[in-house]
Amino acid sequence: MSATLTKTGFTQDAFDAFMSTRNEPAWLSDLRRDSWSRFTEMAMPSSRDEEWMRTDIRLFKLDKYSLAADAVEVSLPQALLATGVELGGRGVSIDSRSVESQLSEKWSSRGVLFGSLDTMLVEHGDLLRPYLERHLVSPSYDKIAALNAACWSGGNLLFVPKGVRVDEPLHSLSVMSDGGTDLGKTLVVLEEGAEATLLSETASSEPDGGGLHCGSIELIVERGARLRYVNLQNWGSGVWHFAHQMAHVGANANLQWTIGALGSRLAKVNQHVALIGQDAEAQVNGVMFTQGKQHLCYNTYQHHQAEYCQSDLLYKAALQDQSRTVWRGMIKVDEGAQRTNAYQRNDNLMLSTTARADSIPGLEIEADDVRCTHGSTSGRVDDHQLFYAMTRGYTRKEAVRMIVSGFFQQVFDRITIESVREALGEAIGRRVRDIEE
Amino acid sequence: MSDFVAVANCSEVADPGSMLVEVDDRLVVLIHAAGHYYALDDVCTHDGGPLSDGPVNATEGTIACPRHGAKFDVKSGAAVTMPATKATVAHEVKVEGEQVFVRLSNA
Repeated sequence: MSATLTKTGFTQDAFDAFMSTRNEPAWLSDLRRDSWSRFTEMAMPSSRDEEWMRTDIRLFKLDKYSLAADAVEVSLPQALLATGVELGGRGVSIDSRSVESQLSEKWSSRGVLFGSLDTMLVEHGDLLRPYLERHLVSPSYDKIAALNAACWSGGNLLFVPKGVRVDEPLHSLSVMSDGGTDLGKTLVVLEEGAEATLLSETASSEPDGGGLHCGSIELIVERGARLRYVNLQNWGSGVWHFAHQMAHVGANANLQWTIGALGSRLAKVNQHVALIGQDAEAQVNGVMFTQGKQHLCYNTYQHHQAEYCQSDLLYKAALQDQSRTVWRGMIKVDEGAQRTNAYQRNDNLMLSTTARADSIPGLEIEADDVRCTHGSTSGRVDDHQLFYAMTRGYTRKEAVRMIVSGFFQQVFDRITIESVREALGEAIGRRVRDIEE
Repeated sequence: MSDFVAVANCSEVADPGSMLVEVDDRLVVLIHAAGHYYALDDVCTHDGGPLSDGPVNATEGTIACPRHGAKFDVKSGAAVTMPATKATVAHEVKVEGEQVFVRLSNA
């Protein structure tokens, strides 16, 4: 994996050159080639597809980006989530290339693996093979999923063996150079009874940097395990961000998954949580703030496949300028998933009259003994609240920030990691300007 | 105010008809109706549908969204039928010789 690639673009020649640089087991090469053939056969999604009706990517030119560019040196942006946190390990990558990886001996000696996925595969291929072959994110789903499955590089791995409880958060920072490409893949596996917290963030080397992120995240939380996973998307304002994210939560296991979506020019993310064992629980938190002409589209899917499971999703978004969010949520309950308790809610705070939020909750229930509810609200800042705050001595800007902060408090209260609450709160506070009439 | 940008030859757009063009990283539908050229943002303000896929009615001076039939005035971008209620952005157009130019509005 040390050879330098000179081919660019997503062509057969570039893929062949990419494969020739990989020092990987044959089974993985076969998976990549199979996904590549799917990629070449499938068309790019278009607005004729139901899922893409509200997300226009006609200005996105895939051939502007490289399959794997040469290594570049950039100044690293500040890691927001790691501030003031005692970490058990950390990793940094630039354009999908690992540049730093460390794990406390305390955890490595207990069998925990943390670092670049492609590096780990060289040493632990047999251990990781079954998880990669499960294809939580199916390469057949669409052209974007196929591209990542065929061409992912770098990436993050966290593997926690049975019964090991990692009580120090682990942190990964994925950085993209201006005009770069990130094809990262994250794989998290918590074996039975394990526990861990992973703070993962993405950022561009320049705040207005462009580029392509085509990524995937696969979380496997086995019986009785507990995972807290935070994913902060803070790409530059010119980045096209496409991602498929999937979690499998086993019996009696618990997943708390928090997403912060602040950056990128356009984001299209599919976040899918499958509760596959009895009494599994998932809490999904989403914090979104958009500005300028940003377009962030998040499709969430809570899939109840087993009895007595609980899922609770709350996405909150604040929008200013001419930005737009699209949230499509679905709770799917299989026929055998009796005694399901599922909830989903999306709230949108409009800070300008030219912003737009599309909120589309949905239920598909095949069982007959369940409790499934959903809700959605969209509204503007209450003028009376603003007036009252200003009568108490706040400037208009302070008052708006306080009201926006209060709007997000409900979701912040659910996030149990202080550094994450603070990082999201400060990042949003810096972005809020004023209410545009 | 941005500059005029050459986007098409006159012969490339039938009358009545339309053509999708990119102007400075923006999608614009160039419309040819009753001998005149017009340019609008290629987005229906109802649900974001692409107007460039919809029919042009030269008599009415409208272009319709292919999804739900909302119509927009080709000259001003105003929404003239439901379900759209807000105007889409109209841009300035000029013809010089055989070339059509568009200048983006600041909106």
